[in-house]
Amino acid sequence: MNTKYVIATVVIIAIVVVAAFVYVYYQGQATVAEQLKVLQNLVDDTGYTTSLTALPNRIASLAPSATEIVFALGLDEKVVSVSDYCDYPYNFSAWIAAGNMTSIGDFSNPNMEVIASLAPDLIIATGGVQAETVDTLRALNYKVIVLNPSNVSGVLKNIELVGNATGKIDEAKTLIASLNSRIDAVANTVATASKPKVYYEVYYATTSAWTIGSLAYQNDLIEKAGGTNLFGDQQKDYYQYQVEALIARNPDVILLPAGGMGTGSAQSLDDVKARPAWDTTNAVKNDRLYQIDPNLIELATPRFVDAIEQLAEFFHPELF
Amino acid sequence: MSTDEVESTYSRRTKRWKLIVLLLLLALFVVVLVSLNVGYEPISFTDILKILGKQIPILNGYVDSSLAALSPKELITFQTNAGIILQLRLPRIIAGIVVGAALAASGVVYQGVFKNPMADSYVLGVSAGAAVGASFSILFGAGLTFLGLSLVQVAAFIGALFAMFLVYNISRVGSRVPVTTLLLCGIAVNFFLYAIVALLEVIAGDELHAIVFWLIGGFSNVLWGDVWAVLPFIIIGTVISYLYARDLNLLALGEDQAQHLGVNVERVKQALLVLASMVTAAAVSLSGLIGFVGLMVPHITRLVIGPDHRILFPASTIVGAIFLVICDAVARVITTPFASTSELPVGIVTMLAGAPFFIILFRKKKQSYAL
Repeated sequence: MNTKYVIATVVIIAIVVVAAFVYVYYQGQATVAEQLKVLQNLVDDTGYTTSLTALPNRIASLAPSATEIVFALGLDEKVVSVSDYCDYPYNFSAWIAAGNMTSIGDFSNPNMEVIASLAPDLIIATGGVQAETVDTLRALNYKVIVLNPSNVSGVLKNIELVGNATGKIDEAKTLIASLNSRIDAVANTVATASKPKVYYEVYYATTSAWTIGSLAYQNDLIEKAGGTNLFGDQQKDYYQYQVEALIARNPDVILLPAGGMGTGSAQSLDDVKARPAWDTTNAVKNDRLYQIDPNLIELATPRFVDAIEQLAEFFHPELF
Repeated sequence: MSTDEVESTYSRRTKRWKLIVLLLLLALFVVVLVSLNVGYEPISFTDILKILGKQIPILNGYVDSSLAALSPKELITFQTNAGIILQLRLPRIIAGIVVGAALAASGVVYQGVFKNPMADSYVLGVSAGAAVGASFSILFGAGLTFLGLSLVQVAAFIGALFAMFLVYNISRVGSRVPVTTLLLCGIAVNFFLYAIVALLEVIAGDELHAIVFWLIGGFSNVLWGDVWAVLPFIIIGTVISYLYARDLNLLALGEDQAQHLGVNVERVKQALLVLASMVTAAAVSLSGLIGFVGLMVPHITRLVIGPDHRILFPASTIVGAIFLVICDAVARVITTPFASTSELPVGIVTMLAGAPFFIILFRKKKQSYAL
């Protein structure tokens, strides 16, 4: 009688354990299969499909935006290179000097031999100036994905894409969810406030003046922070504008990326106020000129949300 | 030919020249008025006259009485418009006159001295020198000022003069500066300086945009102070160069011939090159590099009124001013039909508009064309 019970118990336990193993095994197989399927179908911002056969272990980042995303996803151990311009989340130039990291060199003209010597199994590049480099690398059979977002949702998609390419799918989802909740928090706060007209300076000098139209990445950040781009009706990216149009349109807020592109941003707020006829604008009359860290607002990285929060405080000081 | 005949030919010619200069000045005046009316913000001509009148002491009272009838809101609009006219449009129009005149005047001198239709400020490395100076200051001293001027402007001026002295001294053979040596050295130094600009662009990083934008050139946001700073150099350089107009005519016969006719060829060449380079340096320090004007305006003027430098020089100077003011107005207004707030870089307009015009003119007159 006793033996019967013992045998029955053992058999039941054995069945449960086997079933559990089988279940876990097939689950695992399914995840691996799913992951493989994801790896084989990585569509980047240029519409190019990259196909990987295994999770990459040697990731070469060619641009600051790519570097920030891979480190945000906890891929620290797998990154084999950054560019000369990468300075976040770590002081990479010190790492490079200490021999703990390799730089592919100038971001607009990466050193092909350095890249080859690193034998990366995944390269993450940016669009625009790196387009030619990307073509060359692909011709040499490297796996390259290109991040070239034009707005906030594009950055979120980039995070998802890098997560898919590196097996950090859940980490990417968590990061995206936390970014979204911060975006929503700002959106709720500024929802009913009136939107100031914001002038974003790219460059200003005697020879010409440049700002952004609706196609620029920063346009979305300004809107998400509860402002409107003074030149948001222009279907353009960066472009040369007429200063008299700015005076006539009368911005409420003037925004300068401090120490970013060109002499325009190296100018002080007092220089801006002293420009001819600018004293007629609301922004100068009410002293609403602000400087922002260009790395926050010019780089398409997870830190865009810091930029949005910062801008929202500039645009709606009464709400924060 | 009797003495009387010579004298009457001469006086008829002088009269004709005076008429040409007068007509060109009149044309410049009209172009300036029309150009004041052109831009993103539509401002009526009567308002423009009122805004200008308010600056003239005698008309001040009359304008004030007409402004008294405006509502407070209209008054604010009037003041904004006054800012646009007096602080944005007028300085850039004046800058257009100054830069256009300077580039055309130095173009006449370069072509005359080198007896080469392709000679301009690029040949002596003057433009490249300015580019190096500007790029350096953008990279290493952005935002700094020097005696109230931006460092970029000062550095461009110094760079341009430095390049000219470099070319001049390299190409000197004893006490003479043969034109061929000068041209070849100019080209070599040019390549060298542009290589430096390219190098600076490569290491520029975030400042790359600033260098590229400066090289495109323009004078959209010029300040009155910037204009006053370059004006003395340009006026002095241009007026003294004009005094050499007769010598330029004789140089056209060949250097030996000119020497026999009493021209101190080396001295004249030296003086003219220094003056023209100073004028160009002042202009490009204000506007960045603007192509075509220095090269083509003298040719266009020569095609119409002939090669005598005594009239070619003043006429080219005024035509250069008219041409650049028109191009700048076009750069502002060409985008308006598309509800656009943008403007084209003026250097692109000068080339797009100038080159076809020159080709048409040249095809009509090519038989009789001579430097």
